[in-house]
Amino acid sequence: MVIDCHAHLSGGGDGKGGISPYDEDVLEAADSLGIDAICASILCERPASVEGFQESNRKLAELVRRFPGKVLGYAFVNPGHQRAAIDEVRRCVEEFGFIGVKLYNEYKCTDPVVWPIVETAIALRVPILEHAGHSHFPIPRQPNISDGGDLAELARRYPEAMLICGHIGGGGDWEWTIKALRSAPGVYLDTSGSVFDDGMIDMAARVLGTDRLLFGCDISWSAGIAKVRAAHLPEEAKRMVLGGNMEKILARRGGKTC
Amino acid sequence: MLVDTNTYIGHWAFRPLPWHTADDLLRAMDAHGIDRAFVSSASAILYRNSHAGNEELHAEARAHPDRLVPFAVINPTYADWQHDLAICHEEFGARGVRLYPKYHRYQLSDANGKALIREAAARKMIISVPLRVEDNRQRSWLLDVPDVTAAEVADAAKAHPEARFLPVNGFGYLRSAFAEEGSVQGDFGLEMLRPAIFMGRSNALGQEIQRTIEKIGADHVVFGSGMPFTIPEVLLLKLEVLNLPKEASEAIRWRNAVRLLE
Repeated sequence: MVIDCHAHLSGGGDGKGGISPYDEDVLEAADSLGIDAICASILCERPASVEGFQESNRKLAELVRRFPGKVLGYAFVNPGHQRAAIDEVRRCVEEFGFIGVKLYNEYKCTDPVVWPIVETAIALRVPILEHAGHSHFPIPRQPNISDGGDLAELARRYPEAMLICGHIGGGGDWEWTIKALRSAPGVYLDTSGSVFDDGMIDMAARVLGTDRLLFGCDISWSAGIAKVRAAHLPEEAKRMVLGGNMEKILARRGGKTC
Repeated sequence: MLVDTNTYIGHWAFRPLPWHTADDLLRAMDAHGIDRAFVSSASAILYRNSHAGNEELHAEARAHPDRLVPFAVINPTYADWQHDLAICHEEFGARGVRLYPKYHRYQLSDANGKALIREAAARKMIISVPLRVEDNRQRSWLLDVPDVTAAEVADAAKAHPEARFLPVNGFGYLRSAFAEEGSVQGDFGLEMLRPAIFMGRSNALGQEIQRTIEKIGADHVVFGSGMPFTIPEVLLLKLEVLNLPKEASEAIRWRNAVRLLE
């Protein structure tokens, strides 16, 4: 089974009872590349308001219902809204059947305001996909972006959490990120992003082990598939990266897989 | 038949490339069904004297003229570059030049850039401009070099109808003079390695290769892998999923590149 652990949808429709052209394209791209399921979030204007993330998640719930087993949902929240964010994560997982939590860059993941969300995800046995990247230059538009070091620090505080460091191919210095995650076995690394440097997935596999790598595209479809295809890994390891590892994570939420 | 218009041998200062020699390149070409490759020195990009990289390339590639097509890295702000160009063309058999205006601190439109383009075009050499070497987000703390834009290359192509341009590591051609009918008089090839947002059969997310083929023409799109910086599988997969008519596919896979060499 091939599972894209990092996808985005738009929600909404086409005005005729169908899904939006964007979402149709995403699902078509997944089909054309042999991707069986996508783990997706719908983001809203950030910093996200309560109304904003609730609306995003409601739209996603419709797509999850419409495409069972094909679209798996991440609850997107802004941890700064504390009680409302926690309640939203619970609602999404327990009522909508979402499979995880998506955090963006409103707060660094090490900020104490994020901790209750992590504790909620632990209680619900779902992973957290964190938008992440490490640049050697300031990123003015993303002052609170987390990096692999932040995720490793969070994992030390919450060793039982299932944390996914987002897009190794879209998050700046990938060698830095891989090294920062080495000593944090609780953190998975997602392979998505538009960068497809030769050696990137091989180094991640060598340093972290293939059981910590999760295939993802983050809308860079051909790069996403091709970099796992091109990696110098045994076929069984590729199978696990492409979906087996994510299936194991999904199974932890109570034996229910896709 | 497959011709790769974008390969390198040598070293890059900021990370280890998976391989460095002509023999390595030939093995990688064989592994991916690539018959011929346009190749330049990766080391030359950051060498103060780029020509030292061209000499290294020549030493490696000279034994394989049937498969490796050398391109010279020329910095027109450096002493005696005209002599370097002549050596590369006349002795090393270089069929094109690779220009790095942002790394070497000139503009394609300034006196240095124009002089190099004119001289190389007079020698019937292809003018290849990598729009970037690495993704800017991962740049070293020592280096803050912006990308060349497709529009800059297109404007240069417009200004030099006598030259054949080959931008590589590129995207964004649709927003440049390359997409304006009749604007660029000379022949050109567009290597489209980078558009990563690729949607298979549809257009809503910007299927750039397909739109470029539709608007600019399959006779101006070429295959390029970026090896060993990047993996060839990405563009190969794009071509596989695009499922183009045979004529367009062959044009992109090799005919256009061969035409540029003529």
